[in-house]
Amino acid sequence: MTAAVQTPFQRIASDFAASKLALLGFAMLVVVIGIALFAPVVSPQNPYDLTQIDVMDSKLGPGEKSMAGQTYWLGTDDQGRDMLSGIFYGLRISLGVGVLSTILALSLGILFGLTAAWFGGRIDALIMRICDIQLSFPAILIALILLAMLGQGVDKIIIALITVQWAYYARTVRGAALVERGKEYVEAARGLGLSSSRILFRHLLPNVLPPLIVVATVQVAHAIALEATLSFLGLGLPITEPSLGLLISNGFQYLMSGKYWISFYPGLALLLTIVAINLVADQLRDVLNPRLQK
Amino acid sequence: MIPRFIRRLAIVLLASTVALATTAAHAARDISIGLQAAITSMDPHYHNLSPNNSMMLHVFEGLIKRDENQKLVPGLATSWKAIDDLTWEFKLRKNVRFHDGSPLTADDVAFTLKRVPNVPNSPSSFATFTKPIVDVKIVDPHTLVFKTATPHVLLPSDLASVMIVSKLHGEKATTEDYNAGKACIGTGPYKYVEFIPNQRVVLKANYGYWGGEEPWDKLTFKILTNAAARVAALLSGDVQMIENVPTSDIAKMEKDKNLSVVSKVSNRVIYVHLNQSTEKSPPFVFDKSGKPMDKNPFRDVRVRKALSMAVNRDAIVDRVMEKKAVPAAQLLPDIFYGTSKKLKPTRFDPEGARKLLAEAGYPNGFSMTLHGPAGRYINDDKVIQALAQFYSRIGIDTKVETFPASVYFNRATNLEFGYMLLGWGTESGEQASAMRSLLATRDPAKGMGVNNRGRYTNPAFDKLLEQALVTMDDKKREGLIQQAAEMVMGEVGLIPLHYEVSTWAAAKGFKYTARTDQYTVATSLKPSK
Repeated sequence: MTAAVQTPFQRIASDFAASKLALLGFAMLVVVIGIALFAPVVSPQNPYDLTQIDVMDSKLGPGEKSMAGQTYWLGTDDQGRDMLSGIFYGLRISLGVGVLSTILALSLGILFGLTAAWFGGRIDALIMRICDIQLSFPAILIALILLAMLGQGVDKIIIALITVQWAYYARTVRGAALVERGKEYVEAARGLGLSSSRILFRHLLPNVLPPLIVVATVQVAHAIALEATLSFLGLGLPITEPSLGLLISNGFQYLMSGKYWISFYPGLALLLTIVAINLVADQLRDVLNPRLQK
Repeated sequence: MIPRFIRRLAIVLLASTVALATTAAHAARDISIGLQAAITSMDPHYHNLSPNNSMMLHVFEGLIKRDENQKLVPGLATSWKAIDDLTWEFKLRKNVRFHDGSPLTADDVAFTLKRVPNVPNSPSSFATFTKPIVDVKIVDPHTLVFKTATPHVLLPSDLASVMIVSKLHGEKATTEDYNAGKACIGTGPYKYVEFIPNQRVVLKANYGYWGGEEPWDKLTFKILTNAAARVAALLSGDVQMIENVPTSDIAKMEKDKNLSVVSKVSNRVIYVHLNQSTEKSPPFVFDKSGKPMDKNPFRDVRVRKALSMAVNRDAIVDRVMEKKAVPAAQLLPDIFYGTSKKLKPTRFDPEGARKLLAEAGYPNGFSMTLHGPAGRYINDDKVIQALAQFYSRIGIDTKVETFPASVYFNRATNLEFGYMLLGWGTESGEQASAMRSLLATRDPAKGMGVNNRGRYTNPAFDKLLEQALVTMDDKKREGLIQQAAEMVMGEVGLIPLHYEVSTWAAAKGFKYTARTDQYTVATSLKPSK
């Protein structure tokens, strides 16, 4: 027992910083989030404003100048869209969709998972069987079917992503909550005559959060990859407002003709984003796992 | 001992080389071709669709055929002539046999004409081509006389689109029987082997073909809708020829010494129909605040003109189509019959377009969604995005929505859209039939305006066109068609954008004769040496 008493957060922060790689990932993530938040400010062009792009500037290579004299540092796509701006705005959509769908799916998962764990019996069996059925289908398949029925749009993509993700959280929450439910502090809370909802959300939930945070961080990366896949397949967002997946898909047709930049740079942006999130998630898992604590 | 051993070895080696050489020669006579679009049926009278019609030319033949420039040439008929304005006589080719060995007679032709309008559930009927014939008289087994109710100059051209089937096999046959091959028995150079929808069609040579032997024993048509997959299949040797080379790859493939790339301007015009069917705002057209308008802007010729002037056709051709297209001024390139040399592509003039919109009462523009197919025409989804750019420059708020062809065309036919990107290949190769289908006031019973999804209507134009359609004198008729074209294009009955240039690529050792009708037919593919 030393004199300096760390708060849990300080402990987590210092453990997290122990890995250089995780710090690098975190720094990359901060940059990516910054770009996504301030895309309209940092982009040279609004790639979704049709009056700002010109088909006469299409398929210019990285560093070439437009007819109006503007330099396209990463080149342009087949509609004359500045790739750099396209990537910035694409990141915005990808991250936005990824984070939002994860938060919503997480909330849904917590609700169902806690309900299942707390009440047990038939309710538990019902919810878990639904999860099992859901998890037995590949996520991409469910998302494809949903989008085919719902149509295009950011909201539709988010709905599809929530549907394919909530079951992971529900399962994780239930598992953790079942362990916690048998512990003394819950007994004590019961003994004090606290209401079910108070015990669930004030006592159980905080204690099952660490594994959830880890699952959620990994799932954000999954959600982003899934959104990109769906856009690549042409489902999801309107073609005049491309996200990263659609940019990659557009450039895919030009790969054989040597115009690599249309696919390459959005692909790189997608890769770096997902790597950054995974580095952070990996370290978080180590830090938050009580069994790995020194 | 040793010399004997060597001799034996030599014999074995020689034998195997010979065997190898023969299999190689055999393999070279079996070819595969990569197609872009699926074949929906092997019934030649079920679905009037370019990919189907192209495929049918292998198994079946019409009385009249079209060469690679769509000129009419004798097919199953050796000669035809108009006896008077309402009577035509056709002489059949003798000694033509169906694939089962039965001879072709006038009975088969009469049966075909009876079958065409009576194919159940046909998504797009061939009846337009046979409707003008009101009476068929069989003079002798090789002579037929057709009667029409009104003078019908397009009869030979119409009949070139009708494949002759065998009466013996067709009488009780359904479309399913043709798809399964039971009834798919024609007189053409190739016979049915296998039809697997969305995957492949396999045909084998008809060695007794009247037109002489074809250089190929077996044809496998593979459906490769994905352009990159099609190119990859050619480069890997999986297929010997592909159609619709993606424009982005043409330049590189033309330089490749192991490939031969051919292209030709086609009879297909890419155009825009503006939905004029409604008094008020058509679907997906609103004012700037998103409310429907009291007037349909597309009914105003100034708005239609402005929408045509706003389009930079050169930019589309140069940038989107990689120069594999020609800016369009009418419905067919001006090398075809009935086209007017006076018509030039509308000049790109965004300022003028703005002024016209203001004059028409839309100084701040309006808003609309452009609709089009994805993957039906060359670069269709890119063309429509470029169009969206042009319109947003003249103050029109523009959105883009594309659909797979199967969904899109049905919805467009139901007039569920306002601004529709479409294409039209004129099989007959003369402009009157294209105008009859796309611009004449809609009257399906008379075969007029059958595909007029814009519902454009102009009685003066209708009158000119109808007059042209009954004028038997070729020179006089062409003048009337040109006059009608100048009138309707002046009023922007539809917005012509460009003519597609179709491209084929074949492996080394093969030579394809490019066609204006975009058809991919093995009879135009020959060994190059």
